[in-house]
Amino acid sequence: MTKLLEIHNLVKEFPGVKALQGVDLDVLEAEVHCLLGANGAGKSTLIKCVSGALEPTSGEILLEGEPLPPGDPAGTLKRGVATIYQELDLVADLSVAESIFLAHEPRRWPLLDLDKMYRESEALLARLGHDAIPVRAKVGRLRPAAQQIVSIARALSGDVRLLIMDEPSAILDEGEIKTLFEVVRRLTAEGVGVVYISHRLDEIRRIGDRVTVLADGRTTATGLPATTPTDELVEFMVGRKVDQLYPERPVSTDRVLLEVRDARRLPAVRGVSLKVHAGEIVGLGGLVGSGRTELLRLIYGLDQPEGGEFLVEGKPLRPNRPGHAIRRGLGLAPEDRKSQALVLDWSETKNVTIADLSRFSRVLLDVRKERASAHEQLRSLNTVPDDPDRVVRLLSGGNQQKVVLARWLLHECRVLLLDEPTRGVDVATKAEIYRIVSDLATSGLGVLVVSSELEELVGICTRILVMRDGEIVAEVAGNVATEHELLRHAVAPTDAPELTEEVV
Amino acid sequence: MSRKRFIISIVAASLLAIGTAACSVGDSEEVTRTVTVSDTTAGGTSSGRTVTIIASVPPTDHGWLGAISKDAKAAADQHDDVDFELLQAADADSQAQQIEQAIAQKPDVLVVLPQDGAALTPVAQKAERAGIPVVNIDRLFTAPDAATATVLGDNYQIGVLAANYIGDQLKCNGNVVEIQGLAGISVTTDRTKGFTDTLKKKCPGGGVRIVASQPGDFNPDKGLTVMENILQAQSDIDAVYTHDDDMAQGVVQAIRNANRDDDMFLTGVGGSQDAMKQIEEGGLYRATFLYNPNMAGTAVNMARLIALGQGFSELVPPEVPRQVVVPAAVVTQDNVSEYEKYAFN
Amino acid sequence: MTPAQAAEPDQGGPEFSDRLKALRLQEYGLAAVVVLLFIAGSILKPETFPTWDNVRNMLTQASVIGVLAIGMTFVIATAGIDLSVGSMVAAAGVFGGILIGTDGTSSLVFILGAIAFATLLGVVNATAVAYARIVPFIATLAMFSIARGVALLLNDKLPVSLLDLNGGSFGDPRPFSLLWFGNGRIFGIPASVYVFVAITIAGWIVLNRTRYGRYVVAVGGNREAARIAGVPVRRIIFSVYVLSGLLAGVATVLLCARLGSASPVSGNLYELDAIGAVVIGGTSLAGGRATIVGTFLGVLTFALIFSLMTQLNLSTEVQQVTKGLIVLGAVLLQRSESRY
Repeated sequence: MTKLLEIHNLVKEFPGVKALQGVDLDVLEAEVHCLLGANGAGKSTLIKCVSGALEPTSGEILLEGEPLPPGDPAGTLKRGVATIYQELDLVADLSVAESIFLAHEPRRWPLLDLDKMYRESEALLARLGHDAIPVRAKVGRLRPAAQQIVSIARALSGDVRLLIMDEPSAILDEGEIKTLFEVVRRLTAEGVGVVYISHRLDEIRRIGDRVTVLADGRTTATGLPATTPTDELVEFMVGRKVDQLYPERPVSTDRVLLEVRDARRLPAVRGVSLKVHAGEIVGLGGLVGSGRTELLRLIYGLDQPEGGEFLVEGKPLRPNRPGHAIRRGLGLAPEDRKSQALVLDWSETKNVTIADLSRFSRVLLDVRKERASAHEQLRSLNTVPDDPDRVVRLLSGGNQQKVVLARWLLHECRVLLLDEPTRGVDVATKAEIYRIVSDLATSGLGVLVVSSELEELVGICTRILVMRDGEIVAEVAGNVATEHELLRHAVAPTDAPELTEEVV
Repeated sequence: MSRKRFIISIVAASLLAIGTAACSVGDSEEVTRTVTVSDTTAGGTSSGRTVTIIASVPPTDHGWLGAISKDAKAAADQHDDVDFELLQAADADSQAQQIEQAIAQKPDVLVVLPQDGAALTPVAQKAERAGIPVVNIDRLFTAPDAATATVLGDNYQIGVLAANYIGDQLKCNGNVVEIQGLAGISVTTDRTKGFTDTLKKKCPGGGVRIVASQPGDFNPDKGLTVMENILQAQSDIDAVYTHDDDMAQGVVQAIRNANRDDDMFLTGVGGSQDAMKQIEEGGLYRATFLYNPNMAGTAVNMARLIALGQGFSELVPPEVPRQVVVPAAVVTQDNVSEYEKYAFN
Repeated sequence: MTPAQAAEPDQGGPEFSDRLKALRLQEYGLAAVVVLLFIAGSILKPETFPTWDNVRNMLTQASVIGVLAIGMTFVIATAGIDLSVGSMVAAAGVFGGILIGTDGTSSLVFILGAIAFATLLGVVNATAVAYARIVPFIATLAMFSIARGVALLLNDKLPVSLLDLNGGSFGDPRPFSLLWFGNGRIFGIPASVYVFVAITIAGWIVLNRTRYGRYVVAVGGNREAARIAGVPVRRIIFSVYVLSGLLAGVATVLLCARLGSASPVSGNLYELDAIGAVVIGGTSLAGGRATIVGTFLGVLTFALIFSLMTQLNLSTEVQQVTKGLIVLGAVLLQRSESRY
């Protein structure tokens, strides 16, 4: 097969930093080439050099044998290189068709040719096997999975030869990932080459043909078959052996920390009861839309329940009062930490202490004590950098998550509610977070964790509850659960989830 | 949730609209309507047909403007055959819109005191072209075909009177500070020009120097802060020529706060009650130049005559003159008792 | 929706000055502007500008807008805005004036009455924004109009003379009588300046060293995250508009004291000056980042510009262009936001 993309000795320097120190990579036609690497390894920089968003310091990038115009995104796009970023670059208020053709709308000069736009959008979606998505619907109302399909269609609306996808599965659940893979296969069948960046090693095995590993701006391995064992890949990524991704499974005690009785908030939560004991990690598995996040929100008090009771250490919780929940010892790490948990412009210190400021103030805030306490927490979690004044926006996903965890550790909370805690987090930091959570459970906390990564749930949980359509449909012990079994419970007997249902 | 929001927004928007409408239309409860009486009646003139007059004025947030509205209405009340409506606007743009709406109502005459003469000239021309005569008060339009008749105070003459008065008081030797009104309107430019032209003639040696000239926007707190700064910059001030009595109150306060009220004297324009009282008491406030809001009454009367096709009987043939200039008068401690009855609030 | 900038932040780059350090630079930049303006004034008017008298004068003039701007800082910190402060100043003054009646002489009644009325107007704003969920721009725009109307209605468009509120001694007002706040002095510094500085210091302490201040900035920085962290978001938003009203009442007292009367047309467009001072000081209109020091410097900047241009006797047109250019320059001197 012919080489579609060739990268030779690519170097990219910023003032004071060598982001890429000689990267070699090639992608064949009709291949899915996975790109693996920890945060900070240089994946994003590499992608931006290929797409033209950045101009390389030296080295060459060839598409079909011809060099790509450096630092020229429009020119690169014309040559057929399309990029789909992790945070989809879609505008919520535009329709699907408008988004697909944004910046290159078909025209009957001087007006837009709307008919052509709608027709071609439908054709593109059909090519991806998703003609069910209505081209006039506003993008903001689609599920993330559908939005991603739109993003791919947008990439295809030009004449694409190479498609780069940055962590496409981060926002998808299992069923949607399957659908995504079908799309990718269709594309490769047409001869398109795909560069697929992911943290999820299991996916690489499923969809990839070959793998390249980046670490510290260098290619530590390239052209490996996707079937390479996980341990080897991780070793290439981290430079050392990572002994065991998952720590020892914590053991539950009899003490009930959190009890939920018949929680109800239609249509998402339809009568859920559960208990979390001290010492255990309880997992909540299920597909997107099964009501897991909504359940956490009810417990924590962000939404008003229509029915049910919530008890912490036997005493009832006042519903719909997050402040009260916090005082009684609950802590929530929400699904989208950037928009829901952190004030990005603030320092690490301020983000850590915000839930428990009374600890540092009688009338006035003792700023020094605050900083010292926060620093201590951050250090204990091995946050990098543990600079208490560093602005949180600048941290990697994994470290941002640690800041959120530090907040609850500072507060000495009793029950931790975690919603997708390792989303957008690299493998090495994931391992750290698992260890932290496990240690917390062992030290007497109770943990309730929602995750779409079934492998993760199987790896760390004492017990796993599976939700479907707002109810708990199964409970499986952690040490005997398998992903397959969980998936079976999670999926409704009929079909794959509708991609066009409105976002809940 | 979005439904509730929607309803609240509609309610809020309606309240906002009603509130704004109420504020801008203002004195709607003071609209006078008189029914036509076909027979002659004692007192007031009656011609047997109704004359509709719509008057448009800027917001009466100033004593003088308030008096204008009162005098206009009073004049209309004198006639049984006049159907009078007064519109108040918030600014030049909304006044233009109001006048456009008024044109659509097809009154017999429009009486307009524009917030800004230049800005409202086009809409006045539109009225004229639509066959509705316009009577312009005080702040002049900038095109001759924008009004059939104009009534104005003699702003240039006020400047002349002020220069003569101040020149005499200072015996042609001293420093003068000028606090103007709203920059850019004809009223201001005329009052300044009359002043500067006359000073040159009266004190040809240049003995009277204008050391500072700043706008006070007809607003007392602006007059205050502007004068405070000028007092800092100028250690030697002998007289202050202000364009407006109301605004002058702020200027006076600044001078008093700085304890320099014995060093200088001040003149105003308009003839407000406060000014007259201070002139009577004597001291800092020495004179004002009458700029009688009665001209509004004159304008309304002229408007009525224009509508009826009549004119001033003194003129041969009887016509309504194109321009009526209301003379100003100097009001000082000597003659203030005579003019008190014309003072406005 | 930004492309994956976040994925590559931890390169450990050298000059990723975090927001805290950037804010300092902004404040230094503005302090430099203040100094430059003062030097310019001293060069252009050497006999009258660099004098204690003139400095006192500028600080006194700055006090009214200054007090408003401190309140505005809190409001803008929550990503809100208050367009009604100028009208509230007028309304509160007239209210205080009619409260004491035509022969009244009680400064205390006037002061308390004005502040209470302004606070009440602030409560109306607060209710509209925090509970009726009306967008702050619209809610306070309505109050801008309503308060102005109230100011005109309360005394039939007439100002109220307050020249009797001097504590019984004409010409030399007694300390803490109303007029004393206009020109009274303690150790040679005008009383109104003490009020302004005291409120500035108090504002700094509250914003930076209390839980409440932290919560205010949190609400502006990320409302959802603040809520999840347990911050009583609605109460915080309510409080800042009440605060703005209260400080408008204080500003009224300072203005009426100097003016000797309560004028229904005063306060015209003061909100723009207050907002301008806050913004060039470095507080972000999008919320989450606020600086009292910056506001203080911004107020001084505007006061210096006004004083200098009036003393130079520049014509209005030149004044307006110059003011605009200076403001633009002050903003450019600050670090620009490089994110979307």
